[in-house]
Amino acid sequence: MKRLTSFKLGLREGVRLVAVTAVIYAAFIAFATGADTKAEDAKSADTKAADSKAADAKPAKKAGKKKLTGAELYAIHCNRCHAERYATEFTPGQWKTLMTHMRVRANLPAAQAKLILKYLQEDSGN
Amino acid sequence: MKIHSLILGILAAGCVIGFTLTPRAGAVVNDEDFSSLKDLVTKQGRRIDQLEQTHEQDQKTHEQDQQQIQQLKQQLGETHAVATNATQKAEEVARVQSAYPVVSGAMSAMHNFTMVGDAEVQFGKAAGQHGSFVLADFAPIFLFRASDNVLFEAGFDVTLQNGSQPGGGSATHVDLSFAQLDYLFNDYVTVVAGDMVLPLGTYSERAAGWLNKIPDDPFSRDFLPGSGVGVQLRGAIPVGQSGQMVTYSVYGVNGPSSIDTNGIAGNLDLGGNVGDTGNWHANPSGGGRIGWFYPWQAHYDLELGVSGQTGVWDNAGRRSWSAGVLDAALHISPYFEAKGEYIYTMQETDDMGTIHPQGWWVQAGYKLAGLNLEIPRISNVELVSRYDTMHDALGTKTDRATVGFVYYISNTLLFEGDYEFLHSRGPNALPSNAFVLQLSYGL
Ligand code: HEC
Repeated sequence: MKRLTSFKLGLREGVRLVAVTAVIYAAFIAFATGADTKAEDAKSADTKAADSKAADAKPAKKAGKKKLTGAELYAIHCNRCHAERYATEFTPGQWKTLMTHMRVRANLPAAQAKLILKYLQEDSGN
Repeated sequence: MKIHSLILGILAAGCVIGFTLTPRAGAVVNDEDFSSLKDLVTKQGRRIDQLEQTHEQDQKTHEQDQQQIQQLKQQLGETHAVATNATQKAEEVARVQSAYPVVSGAMSAMHNFTMVGDAEVQFGKAAGQHGSFVLADFAPIFLFRASDNVLFEAGFDVTLQNGSQPGGGSATHVDLSFAQLDYLFNDYVTVVAGDMVLPLGTYSERAAGWLNKIPDDPFSRDFLPGSGVGVQLRGAIPVGQSGQMVTYSVYGVNGPSSIDTNGIAGNLDLGGNVGDTGNWHANPSGGGRIGWFYPWQAHYDLELGVSGQTGVWDNAGRRSWSAGVLDAALHISPYFEAKGEYIYTMQETDDMGTIHPQGWWVQAGYKLAGLNLEIPRISNVELVSRYDTMHDALGTKTDRATVGFVYYISNTLLFEGDYEFLHSRGPNALPSNAFVLQLSYGL
Protein backbone atom coordinates (compact mmCIF):
# COMPACT_ATOMS: atom_id res chain seq x y z
CA MET A 1 0.00 0.00 0.00
CA LYS A 2 2.74 2.36 1.02
CA ARG A 3 4.62 1.31 -2.08
CA LEU A 4 1.61 2.05 -4.21
CA THR A 5 1.27 5.61 -2.93
CA SER A 6 4.92 6.27 -3.37
CA PHE A 7 4.70 4.82 -6.87
CA LYS A 8 1.79 7.12 -7.68
CA LEU A 9 3.70 10.07 -6.33
CA GLY A 10 6.64 9.01 -8.39
CA LEU A 11 4.52 8.89 -11.49
CA ARG A 12 3.00 12.32 -10.88
CA GLU A 13 6.44 13.68 -10.17
CA GLY A 14 7.65 12.06 -13.34
CA VAL A 15 5.00 13.60 -15.52
CA ARG A 16 5.70 17.01 -14.02
CA LEU A 17 9.37 16.43 -14.48
CA VAL A 18 8.97 15.73 -18.18
CA ALA A 19 6.65 18.70 -18.63
CA VAL A 20 8.89 21.15 -16.81
CA THR A 21 11.97 19.84 -18.57
CA ALA A 22 10.31 20.34 -21.91
CA VAL A 23 9.33 23.90 -20.98
CA ILE A 24 12.79 24.77 -19.68
CA TYR A 25 14.48 23.35 -22.74
CA ALA A 26 12.04 24.99 -25.12
CA ALA A 27 12.53 28.34 -23.41
CA PHE A 28 16.24 27.91 -23.57
CA ILE A 29 16.28 26.95 -27.20
CA ALA A 30 14.10 29.97 -27.95
CA PHE A 31 16.56 32.21 -26.10
CA ALA A 32 19.50 30.63 -27.78
CA THR A 33 18.14 30.78 -31.32
CA GLY A 34 17.08 34.38 -30.88
CA ALA A 35 20.57 35.38 -29.90
CA ASP A 36 23.06 37.03 -32.17
CA THR A 37 25.23 34.88 -34.37
CA LYS A 38 28.50 36.68 -33.86
CA ALA A 39 29.47 35.11 -30.56
CA GLU A 40 28.39 31.77 -31.93
CA ASP A 41 30.82 31.95 -34.81
CA ALA A 42 33.75 32.31 -32.47
CA LYS A 43 32.28 29.64 -30.24
CA SER A 44 31.63 27.08 -32.90
CA ALA A 45 35.15 27.62 -34.15
CA ASP A 46 36.22 26.52 -30.69
CA THR A 47 33.95 23.55 -30.81
CA LYS A 48 35.23 22.66 -34.25
CA ALA A 49 38.78 22.87 -33.02
CA ALA A 50 37.85 20.53 -30.22
CA ASP A 51 36.08 18.24 -32.66
CA SER A 52 38.98 18.09 -35.04
CA LYS A 53 41.23 17.30 -32.11
CA ALA A 54 38.86 14.51 -31.26
CA ALA A 55 38.89 13.37 -34.85
CA ASP A 56 42.65 13.12 -35.15
CA ALA A 57 42.78 11.00 -32.08
CA LYS A 58 41.38 7.61 -32.89
CA PRO A 59 43.59 5.28 -30.94
CA ALA A 60 42.90 1.90 -29.42
CA LYS A 61 41.74 -0.76 -31.86
CA LYS A 62 42.21 1.37 -34.96
CA ALA A 63 45.81 2.14 -34.14
CA GLY A 64 46.46 -1.51 -33.44
CA LYS A 65 49.73 -2.05 -31.64
CA LYS A 66 50.93 1.47 -32.33
CA LYS A 67 51.82 3.49 -29.24
CA LEU A 68 49.45 6.32 -28.38
CA THR A 69 50.78 9.83 -28.96
CA GLY A 70 50.59 12.73 -26.52
CA ALA A 71 47.75 14.24 -28.54
CA GLU A 72 45.78 11.01 -28.48
CA LEU A 73 46.30 10.56 -24.76
CA TYR A 74 45.24 14.16 -24.21
CA ALA A 75 42.03 13.42 -26.12
CA ILE A 76 41.44 10.25 -24.12
CA HIS A 77 42.01 11.68 -20.65
CA CYS A 78 41.72 15.42 -20.46
CA ASN A 79 38.08 15.71 -21.32
CA ARG A 80 36.56 13.04 -19.13
CA CYS A 81 36.43 14.72 -15.71
CA HIS A 82 36.12 18.29 -16.90
CA ALA A 83 35.99 20.39 -20.04
CA GLU A 84 39.39 20.16 -21.69
CA ARG A 85 41.94 22.83 -20.82
CA TYR A 86 43.69 24.20 -23.89
CA ALA A 87 47.46 24.08 -24.15
CA THR A 88 47.58 27.84 -24.64
CA GLU A 89 45.96 28.52 -21.24
CA PHE A 90 49.16 27.91 -19.28
CA THR A 91 52.92 28.33 -19.64
CA PRO A 92 55.26 25.33 -20.03
CA GLY A 93 56.29 25.63 -16.35
CA GLN A 94 52.70 25.81 -15.17
CA TRP A 95 51.86 22.77 -17.27
CA LYS A 96 54.61 20.82 -15.59
CA THR A 97 53.08 21.61 -12.21
CA LEU A 98 49.52 21.01 -13.38
CA MET A 99 50.38 17.71 -15.01
CA THR A 100 51.95 16.51 -11.76
CA HIS A 101 48.73 17.54 -10.04
CA MET A 102 46.61 15.71 -12.63
CA ARG A 103 48.84 12.65 -12.67
CA VAL A 104 48.20 12.23 -8.96
CA ARG A 105 44.53 13.22 -9.00
CA ALA A 106 43.57 11.13 -12.03
CA ASN A 107 45.94 8.19 -11.38
CA LEU A 108 47.57 8.62 -14.79
CA PRO A 109 50.39 6.26 -15.75
CA ALA A 110 53.73 8.08 -15.61
CA ALA A 111 54.65 7.51 -19.25
CA GLN A 112 51.27 8.83 -20.42
CA ALA A 113 51.52 11.90 -18.20
CA LYS A 114 54.94 12.67 -19.70
CA LEU A 115 53.69 12.39 -23.28
CA ILE A 116 50.71 14.60 -22.53
CA LEU A 117 52.97 17.15 -20.84
CA LYS A 118 55.20 17.29 -23.90
CA TYR A 119 52.21 17.73 -26.15
CA LEU A 120 50.85 20.57 -23.98
CA GLN A 121 54.20 22.31 -23.64
CA GLU A 122 54.68 22.30 -27.36
CA ASP A 123 51.54 24.32 -27.87
CA SER A 124 51.61 26.20 -24.59
CA GLY A 125 50.99 29.87 -23.97
CA ASN A 126 53.59 32.19 -22.55
CA MET B 1 136.42 65.66 -98.74
CA LYS B 2 134.80 62.72 -100.16
CA ILE B 3 133.44 61.65 -96.81
CA HIS B 4 132.16 65.16 -96.06
CA SER B 5 130.36 65.34 -99.30
CA LEU B 6 128.99 61.86 -98.66
CA ILE B 7 127.71 62.90 -95.21
CA LEU B 8 126.30 66.09 -96.70
CA GLY B 9 124.66 64.06 -99.37
CA ILE B 10 123.12 61.66 -96.84
CA LEU B 11 121.93 64.59 -94.75
CA ALA B 12 120.42 66.22 -97.78
CA ALA B 13 118.79 62.99 -98.78
CA GLY B 14 117.58 62.61 -95.22
CA CYS B 15 116.08 66.08 -95.35
CA VAL B 16 114.36 65.34 -98.59
CA ILE B 17 113.02 62.09 -97.22
CA GLY B 18 112.14 63.86 -94.03
CA PHE B 19 110.20 66.49 -95.86
CA THR B 20 108.43 64.07 -98.03
CA LEU B 21 107.72 61.61 -95.24
CA THR B 22 106.68 64.05 -92.50
CA PRO B 23 103.27 64.91 -93.91
CA ARG B 24 102.52 61.17 -94.07
CA ALA B 25 103.41 60.67 -90.44
CA GLY B 26 101.12 63.64 -89.59
CA ALA B 27 98.39 61.83 -91.40
CA VAL B 28 98.78 58.69 -89.15
CA VAL B 29 98.47 60.39 -85.57
CA ASN B 30 96.18 63.36 -85.92
CA ASP B 31 95.16 65.85 -83.18
CA GLU B 32 91.91 64.20 -82.43
CA ASP B 33 93.46 60.84 -81.74
CA PHE B 34 96.08 62.45 -79.63
CA SER B 35 93.66 64.37 -77.48
CA SER B 36 91.47 61.32 -76.97
CA LEU B 37 94.51 59.34 -75.94
CA LYS B 38 95.45 62.14 -73.59
CA ASP B 39 91.95 62.07 -72.14
CA LEU B 40 92.17 58.37 -71.65
CA VAL B 41 95.45 58.68 -69.81
CA THR B 42 94.11 61.50 -67.62
CA LYS B 43 91.02 59.44 -66.80
CA GLN B 44 93.07 56.42 -65.90
CA GLY B 45 95.23 58.59 -63.73
CA ARG B 46 92.15 59.77 -61.89
CA ARG B 47 90.89 56.22 -61.54
CA ILE B 48 94.15 55.21 -59.99
CA ASP B 49 93.87 58.13 -57.59
CA GLN B 50 90.35 57.03 -56.63
CA LEU B 51 91.45 53.43 -56.16
CA GLU B 52 94.27 54.56 -53.96
CA GLN B 53 91.85 56.58 -51.87
CA THR B 54 89.45 53.63 -51.54
CA HIS B 55 92.32 51.42 -50.57
CA GLU B 56 93.36 53.87 -47.89
CA GLN B 57 89.80 53.95 -46.57
CA ASP B 58 89.65 50.16 -46.57
CA GLN B 59 92.83 50.03 -44.64
CA LYS B 60 91.44 52.46 -42.08
CA THR B 61 88.26 50.39 -41.71
CA HIS B 62 90.33 47.29 -41.30
CA GLU B 63 92.35 48.95 -38.57
CA GLN B 64 89.15 50.03 -36.82
CA ASP B 65 87.79 46.47 -37.10
CA GLN B 66 90.95 45.14 -35.61
CA GLN B 67 90.61 47.58 -32.73
CA GLN B 68 87.00 46.59 -32.15
CA ILE B 69 87.87 42.92 -32.21
CA GLN B 70 90.52 43.62 -29.63
CA GLN B 71 88.02 45.49 -27.47
CA LEU B 72 85.45 42.69 -27.78
CA LYS B 73 88.08 40.15 -26.90
CA GLN B 74 88.88 42.14 -23.82
CA GLN B 75 85.20 42.48 -22.87
CA LEU B 76 84.62 38.78 -23.37
CA GLY B 77 87.50 38.06 -21.09
CA GLU B 78 86.01 40.34 -18.45
CA THR B 79 82.54 38.75 -18.76
CA HIS B 80 84.06 35.35 -18.46
CA ALA B 81 85.88 36.46 -15.36
CA VAL B 82 82.62 37.85 -13.87
CA ALA B 83 80.79 34.63 -14.67
CA THR B 84 83.53 32.55 -13.16
CA ASN B 85 83.47 34.73 -10.07
CA ALA B 86 79.69 34.42 -9.83
CA THR B 87 79.85 30.65 -10.14
CA GLN B 88 82.59 30.55 -7.55
CA LYS B 89 80.56 32.77 -5.25
CA ALA B 90 77.40 30.70 -5.79
CA GLU B 91 79.36 27.58 -5.08
CA GLU B 92 80.76 29.17 -1.94
CA VAL B 93 77.25 30.14 -0.82
CA ALA B 94 76.01 26.66 -1.61
CA ARG B 95 78.89 25.20 0.36
CA VAL B 96 78.02 27.44 3.31
CA GLN B 97 74.39 26.22 3.19
CA SER B 98 75.14 22.65 2.31
CA ALA B 99 73.42 21.36 5.43
CA TYR B 100 70.44 21.02 3.04
CA PRO B 101 70.40 19.62 -0.48
CA VAL B 102 70.74 22.53 -2.91
CA VAL B 103 67.93 22.80 -5.41
CA SER B 104 68.88 24.44 -8.69
CA GLY B 105 67.19 27.74 -9.55
CA ALA B 106 64.99 26.26 -12.25
CA MET B 107 63.55 23.76 -9.82
CA SER B 108 62.93 25.84 -6.74
CA ALA B 109 59.43 25.81 -5.33
CA MET B 110 58.71 29.50 -5.72
CA HIS B 111 59.47 29.35 -9.40
CA ASN B 112 56.82 26.73 -9.80
CA PHE B 113 54.02 28.17 -7.80
CA THR B 114 50.72 27.98 -9.61
CA MET B 115 47.31 28.97 -8.40
CA VAL B 116 44.20 27.46 -9.92
CA GLY B 117 40.79 26.70 -8.47
CA ASP B 118 37.32 28.04 -9.07
CA ALA B 119 34.68 30.57 -8.09
CA GLU B 120 30.90 30.35 -8.00
CA VAL B 121 27.87 32.48 -7.43
CA GLN B 122 24.62 30.69 -6.78
CA PHE B 123 21.07 31.93 -6.95
CA GLY B 124 18.38 29.75 -5.44
CA LYS B 125 14.65 29.73 -5.05
CA ALA B 126 12.78 27.11 -3.09
CA ALA B 127 9.05 26.66 -3.62
CA GLY B 128 7.09 29.14 -1.50
CA GLN B 129 10.15 31.24 -0.71
CA HIS B 130 11.74 34.28 -2.24
CA GLY B 131 14.63 33.70 -4.52
CA SER B 132 18.01 35.02 -3.46
CA PHE B 133 21.70 34.78 -4.00
CA VAL B 134 22.36 31.94 -1.63
CA LEU B 135 26.04 31.32 -2.05
CA ALA B 136 29.25 32.90 -3.18
CA ASP B 137 32.24 30.63 -3.23
CA PHE B 138 35.90 31.14 -3.96
CA ALA B 139 37.97 27.98 -3.94
CA PRO B 140 41.63 28.60 -4.71
CA ILE B 141 44.05 25.72 -5.13
CA PHE B 142 47.71 26.40 -4.48
CA LEU B 143 50.25 24.18 -6.18
CA PHE B 144 53.94 24.27 -5.29
CA ARG B 145 56.17 22.01 -7.34
CA ALA B 146 59.33 21.61 -5.32
CA SER B 147 61.08 19.31 -7.78
CA ASP B 148 60.28 16.93 -10.62
CA ASN B 149 58.68 14.52 -8.21
CA VAL B 150 57.45 16.55 -5.26
CA LEU B 151 54.26 18.59 -5.33
CA PHE B 152 52.49 20.31 -2.48
CA GLU B 153 48.85 21.11 -3.08
CA ALA B 154 46.33 22.85 -0.89
CA GLY B 155 42.72 23.71 -1.66
CA PHE B 156 40.61 26.16 0.28
CA ASP B 157 36.95 26.95 0.13
CA VAL B 158 35.87 30.43 1.11
CA THR B 159 32.08 30.58 1.10
CA LEU B 160 29.52 33.15 1.93
CA GLN B 161 26.25 31.42 2.61
CA ASN B 162 23.08 33.43 2.81
CA GLY B 163 20.31 32.53 5.25
CA SER B 164 22.48 29.94 6.94
CA GLN B 165 22.10 31.61 10.33
CA PRO B 166 19.02 31.11 12.48
CA GLY B 167 16.98 34.29 12.18
CA GLY B 168 18.55 35.29 8.88
CA GLY B 169 21.85 36.80 7.94
CA SER B 170 24.78 35.25 6.20
CA ALA B 171 27.91 33.47 7.31
CA THR B 172 31.36 33.28 5.82
CA HIS B 173 33.35 30.09 6.13
CA VAL B 174 36.89 29.23 5.26
CA ASP B 175 37.43 25.51 4.90
CA LEU B 176 40.49 23.55 4.04
CA SER B 177 39.43 21.10 1.35
CA PHE B 178 42.80 19.38 1.20
CA ALA B 179 46.45 20.02 1.96
CA GLN B 180 48.66 17.23 0.78
CA LEU B 181 52.20 16.45 -0.22
CA ASP B 182 52.60 14.22 -3.28
CA TYR B 183 55.83 12.35 -3.79
CA LEU B 184 56.14 10.57 -7.13
CA PHE B 185 58.12 7.64 -5.80
CA ASN B 186 58.34 5.84 -9.13
CA ASP B 187 56.25 5.26 -12.27
CA TYR B 188 53.77 3.11 -10.38
CA VAL B 189 53.66 4.49 -6.85
CA THR B 190 52.90 7.99 -5.61
CA VAL B 191 53.03 8.61 -1.88
CA VAL B 192 50.52 11.16 -0.63
CA ALA B 193 50.45 12.52 2.90
CA GLY B 194 48.38 15.14 4.69
CA ASP B 195 44.74 16.09 4.56
CA MET B 196 43.65 14.21 1.45
CA VAL B 197 40.51 14.06 -0.64
CA LEU B 198 39.50 10.42 -0.21
CA PRO B 199 39.06 8.03 -3.12
CA LEU B 200 35.69 6.79 -1.88
CA GLY B 201 33.88 6.63 -5.16
CA THR B 202 34.96 9.37 -7.52
CA TYR B 203 32.65 12.27 -6.73
CA SER B 204 34.86 14.10 -4.20
CA GLU B 205 38.05 13.57 -6.13
CA ARG B 206 36.42 14.90 -9.28
CA ALA B 207 34.55 17.85 -7.90
CA ALA B 208 34.98 21.57 -8.44
CA GLY B 209 32.51 24.28 -9.31
CA TRP B 210 33.57 24.39 -12.95
CA LEU B 211 33.37 20.67 -13.48
CA ASN B 212 30.25 19.68 -11.58
CA LYS B 213 27.42 19.85 -14.04
CA ILE B 214 24.86 20.25 -11.25
CA PRO B 215 25.56 22.73 -8.41
CA ASP B 216 24.28 20.54 -5.56
CA ASP B 217 26.04 17.35 -4.49
CA PRO B 218 24.08 14.10 -4.43
CA PHE B 219 22.57 13.66 -0.94
CA SER B 220 24.15 10.27 -0.45
CA ARG B 221 27.63 11.84 -0.52
CA ASP B 222 26.81 13.09 2.98
CA PHE B 223 27.26 9.51 4.21
CA LEU B 224 30.95 9.62 3.28
CA PRO B 225 33.84 11.69 4.57
CA GLY B 226 35.18 14.09 1.95
CA SER B 227 38.75 14.09 3.20
CA GLY B 228 40.92 12.44 5.78
CA VAL B 229 44.26 13.01 7.48
CA GLY B 230 46.78 10.28 6.85
CA VAL B 231 48.93 8.61 4.22
CA GLN B 232 48.04 7.15 0.85
CA LEU B 233 49.74 5.18 -1.91
CA ARG B 234 48.28 5.51 -5.38
CA GLY B 235 49.12 4.93 -8.99
CA ALA B 236 48.21 3.27 -12.23
CA ILE B 237 49.30 0.22 -14.14
CA PRO B 238 48.79 0.48 -17.89
CA VAL B 239 47.38 -2.59 -19.60
CA GLY B 240 48.51 -2.97 -23.22
CA GLN B 241 49.05 -0.05 -25.56
CA SER B 242 45.50 1.16 -26.05
CA GLY B 243 45.20 3.32 -22.96
CA GLN B 244 43.54 0.71 -20.81
CA MET B 245 44.69 0.78 -17.19
CA VAL B 246 44.09 -0.39 -13.67
CA THR B 247 44.29 2.30 -11.02
CA TYR B 248 44.65 1.89 -7.29
CA SER B 249 44.66 3.96 -4.12
CA VAL B 250 45.19 2.60 -0.62
CA TYR B 251 45.25 4.71 2.50
CA GLY B 252 45.26 4.91 6.25
CA VAL B 253 43.56 7.92 7.87
CA ASN B 254 42.44 8.97 11.31
CA GLY B 255 38.91 8.12 10.30
CA PRO B 256 35.55 9.23 11.68
CA SER B 257 34.86 9.96 15.31
CA SER B 258 32.04 10.66 17.71
CA ILE B 259 31.03 14.22 18.49
CA ASP B 260 30.37 13.04 22.02
CA THR B 261 32.93 10.24 22.53
CA ASN B 262 30.18 7.59 22.78
CA GLY B 263 28.63 5.37 20.12
CA ILE B 264 25.12 6.90 19.89
CA ALA B 265 23.91 6.65 16.28
CA GLY B 266 23.43 10.36 15.62
CA ASN B 267 26.85 11.27 17.00
CA LEU B 268 28.94 10.04 14.09
CA ASP B 269 31.30 12.77 12.92
CA LEU B 270 32.68 11.76 9.53
CA GLY B 271 35.00 14.71 9.26
CA GLY B 272 36.24 14.29 12.79
CA ASN B 273 39.22 12.76 14.48
CA VAL B 274 41.77 15.15 13.15
CA GLY B 275 43.50 15.67 16.48
CA ASP B 276 40.97 17.30 18.76
CA THR B 277 41.85 15.51 21.99
CA GLY B 278 38.25 15.82 23.20
CA ASN B 279 37.07 13.20 20.74
CA TRP B 280 40.23 11.56 19.67
CA HIS B 281 40.73 7.86 19.48
CA ALA B 282 43.87 6.02 18.56
CA ASN B 283 42.40 3.66 15.99
CA PRO B 284 43.00 4.67 12.41
CA SER B 285 40.78 3.62 9.52
CA GLY B 286 41.95 1.96 6.33
CA GLY B 287 40.53 2.17 2.86
CA GLY B 288 41.16 2.19 -0.84
CA ARG B 289 39.84 2.04 -4.37
CA ILE B 290 40.55 -0.14 -7.38
CA GLY B 291 39.49 1.15 -10.75
CA TRP B 292 39.49 -0.16 -14.28
CA PHE B 293 39.57 2.30 -17.15
CA TYR B 294 38.92 1.11 -20.67
CA PRO B 295 38.98 3.52 -23.62
CA TRP B 296 38.21 1.97 -26.98
CA GLN B 297 38.69 5.26 -28.80
CA ALA B 298 39.25 8.84 -27.67
CA HIS B 299 36.04 10.06 -25.99
CA TYR B 300 34.66 6.54 -25.84
CA ASP B 301 35.45 4.92 -22.53
CA LEU B 302 34.15 3.05 -19.55
CA GLU B 303 35.45 3.23 -16.01
CA LEU B 304 34.39 1.04 -13.12
CA GLY B 305 35.56 1.32 -9.54
CA VAL B 306 35.14 -0.36 -6.18
CA SER B 307 36.16 1.43 -3.01
CA GLY B 308 35.71 1.22 0.71
CA GLN B 309 36.87 2.25 4.13
CA THR B 310 36.62 0.67 7.54
CA GLY B 311 37.57 1.50 11.13
CA VAL B 312 36.11 2.33 14.53
CA TRP B 313 34.50 5.66 15.33
CA ASP B 314 33.67 5.79 19.07
CA ASN B 315 36.32 6.55 21.67
CA ALA B 316 36.03 3.15 23.29
CA GLY B 317 36.97 1.59 19.98
CA ARG B 318 34.02 -0.80 20.04
CA ARG B 319 31.83 0.55 17.25
CA SER B 320 32.93 0.30 13.67
CA TRP B 321 32.02 2.41 10.69
CA SER B 322 32.52 1.04 7.19
CA ALA B 323 31.59 2.17 3.71
CA GLY B 324 31.50 0.50 0.32
CA VAL B 325 31.11 2.40 -2.93
CA LEU B 326 30.67 1.28 -6.52
CA ASP B 327 31.26 3.87 -9.19
CA ALA B 328 30.91 3.90 -12.95
CA ALA B 329 31.45 6.43 -15.71
CA LEU B 330 30.74 6.05 -19.41
CA HIS B 331 31.55 8.30 -22.34
CA ILE B 332 30.13 7.71 -25.77
CA SER B 333 31.42 10.40 -28.13
CA PRO B 334 32.59 13.80 -26.87
CA TYR B 335 28.93 14.61 -26.25
CA PHE B 336 27.43 11.94 -24.06
CA GLU B 337 28.38 11.09 -20.51
CA ALA B 338 26.71 8.95 -17.87
CA LYS B 339 28.02 8.32 -14.40
CA GLY B 340 26.86 7.25 -11.01
CA GLU B 341 27.67 5.80 -7.63
CA TYR B 342 26.14 3.38 -5.23
CA ILE B 343 27.02 4.13 -1.61
CA TYR B 344 26.45 1.72 1.24
CA THR B 345 27.60 2.34 4.80
CA MET B 346 27.49 0.28 7.94
CA GLN B 347 27.54 1.92 11.34
CA GLU B 348 27.57 0.01 14.61
CA THR B 349 25.90 2.01 17.35
CA ASP B 350 25.31 1.87 21.11
CA ASP B 351 21.62 2.53 20.77
CA MET B 352 20.33 1.23 17.42
CA GLY B 353 22.42 -1.81 16.66
CA THR B 354 23.93 -1.74 13.20
CA ILE B 355 22.41 0.76 10.79
CA HIS B 356 22.94 1.15 7.06
CA PRO B 357 22.72 4.70 5.71
CA GLN B 358 22.84 4.35 1.95
CA GLY B 359 21.96 5.85 -1.37
CA TRP B 360 22.84 6.15 -5.03
CA TRP B 361 22.81 8.56 -7.89
CA VAL B 362 23.02 8.49 -11.67
CA GLN B 363 23.66 11.45 -13.88
CA ALA B 364 23.59 11.86 -17.63
CA GLY B 365 24.66 14.73 -19.80
CA TYR B 366 24.40 15.41 -23.49
CA LYS B 367 26.14 18.25 -25.31
CA LEU B 368 23.95 19.61 -28.06
CA ALA B 369 27.04 20.25 -30.18
CA GLY B 370 26.64 16.56 -31.06
CA LEU B 371 23.50 17.34 -33.04
CA ASN B 372 25.41 19.58 -35.47
CA LEU B 373 22.38 21.83 -35.58
CA GLU B 374 24.28 24.92 -36.66
CA ILE B 375 21.84 26.93 -34.56
CA PRO B 376 23.52 29.86 -32.85
CA ARG B 377 24.53 29.14 -29.25
CA ILE B 378 22.85 25.76 -29.10
CA SER B 379 26.14 23.94 -29.49
CA ASN B 380 27.36 25.48 -26.23
CA VAL B 381 24.61 23.81 -24.25
CA GLU B 382 24.76 20.57 -22.36
CA LEU B 383 21.54 19.09 -21.03
CA VAL B 384 21.92 17.30 -17.72
CA SER B 385 19.74 15.27 -15.46
CA ARG B 386 20.33 13.32 -12.31
CA TYR B 387 18.40 11.10 -10.05
CA ASP B 388 19.61 10.68 -6.50
CA THR B 389 18.21 8.97 -3.51
CA MET B 390 19.23 8.49 0.10
CA HIS B 391 18.04 6.73 3.18
CA ASP B 392 19.74 7.90 6.38
CA ALA B 393 18.66 4.85 8.42
CA LEU B 394 17.37 7.23 11.09
CA GLY B 395 13.97 7.45 9.46
CA THR B 396 14.46 9.98 6.67
CA LYS B 397 14.29 9.13 2.99
CA THR B 398 14.76 11.56 0.18
CA ASP B 399 14.49 11.18 -3.57
CA ARG B 400 15.38 13.93 -5.92
CA ALA B 401 15.23 14.34 -9.66
CA THR B 402 17.18 17.20 -11.13
CA VAL B 403 16.94 18.50 -14.66
CA GLY B 404 18.88 21.35 -16.08
CA PHE B 405 21.46 22.64 -18.45
CA VAL B 406 25.02 23.86 -18.55
CA TYR B 407 25.76 26.72 -20.89
CA TYR B 408 29.48 26.83 -21.67
CA ILE B 409 30.40 30.47 -22.09
CA SER B 410 33.94 29.14 -22.41
CA ASN B 411 35.54 25.85 -21.44
CA THR B 412 35.82 27.09 -17.85
CA LEU B 413 33.03 29.63 -17.53
CA LEU B 414 29.75 27.83 -17.03
CA PHE B 415 26.24 29.02 -16.47
CA GLU B 416 24.08 26.33 -14.93
CA GLY B 417 20.36 26.20 -14.32
CA ASP B 418 18.57 23.37 -12.59
CA TYR B 419 15.22 22.46 -11.24
CA GLU B 420 15.16 19.95 -8.39
CA PHE B 421 12.08 17.85 -7.75
CA LEU B 422 12.36 16.77 -4.17
CA HIS B 423 10.43 14.14 -2.36
CA SER B 424 11.50 13.85 1.26
CA ARG B 425 9.86 12.21 4.22
CA GLY B 426 10.84 11.49 7.82
CA PRO B 427 11.99 13.44 10.87
CA ASN B 428 14.72 15.26 8.96
CA ALA B 429 12.74 15.76 5.78
CA LEU B 430 14.11 18.40 3.47
CA PRO B 431 12.18 21.35 2.10
CA SER B 432 10.50 21.03 -1.25
CA ASN B 433 11.41 21.66 -4.88
CA ALA B 434 13.99 24.24 -5.63
CA PHE B 435 15.34 26.18 -8.53
CA VAL B 436 19.07 26.81 -8.68
CA LEU B 437 21.15 28.97 -10.98
CA GLN B 438 24.90 29.03 -10.80
CA LEU B 439 27.73 30.80 -12.53
CA SER B 440 31.00 28.91 -12.18
CA TYR B 441 34.48 29.81 -13.26
CA GLY B 442 37.57 27.62 -13.33
CA LEU B 443 40.74 29.66 -12.88
C1 HEC C 1 40.09 11.85 -12.86
C2 HEC C 1 39.56 13.10 -13.28
C3 HEC C 1 40.47 14.07 -14.03
C4 HEC C 1 41.16 13.83 -15.18
C5 HEC C 1 41.23 12.55 -15.99
C6 HEC C 1 41.82 15.08 -15.50
N1 HEC C 1 41.51 16.03 -14.57
FE1 HEC C 1 42.16 17.96 -14.56
N2 HEC C 1 41.16 18.28 -12.83
C7 HEC C 1 40.38 17.37 -12.16
C8 HEC C 1 39.80 17.99 -11.00
C9 HEC C 1 38.87 17.32 -10.01
C10 HEC C 1 40.26 19.32 -10.99
C11 HEC C 1 39.88 20.45 -10.03
C12 HEC C 1 40.21 20.23 -8.65
C13 HEC C 1 41.66 20.30 -8.37
O1 HEC C 1 42.41 20.92 -9.16
O2 HEC C 1 42.08 19.75 -7.37
C14 HEC C 1 41.12 19.47 -12.14
C15 HEC C 1 41.78 20.63 -12.44
C16 HEC C 1 42.55 20.81 -13.58
C17 HEC C 1 43.22 22.02 -13.89
C18 HEC C 1 43.30 23.22 -13.03
C19 HEC C 1 42.28 24.21 -13.29
C20 HEC C 1 41.54 24.72 -12.10
O3 HEC C 1 40.91 25.76 -12.26
O4 HEC C 1 41.54 24.10 -11.02
C21 HEC C 1 43.85 21.83 -15.10
C22 HEC C 1 44.66 22.83 -15.87
C23 HEC C 1 43.58 20.48 -15.50
N3 HEC C 1 42.78 19.87 -14.56
C24 HEC C 1 44.07 19.90 -16.64
C25 HEC C 1 43.91 18.55 -16.96
C26 HEC C 1 44.58 17.90 -18.05
C27 HEC C 1 45.52 18.56 -19.03
C28 HEC C 1 44.19 16.61 -18.04
C29 HEC C 1 44.64 15.50 -18.96
C30 HEC C 1 45.80 14.82 -18.55
C31 HEC C 1 43.27 16.45 -16.92
N4 HEC C 1 43.13 17.65 -16.29
C32 HEC C 1 42.64 15.24 -16.59
C33 HEC C 1 40.15 16.07 -12.53
C34 HEC C 1 40.69 15.45 -13.65
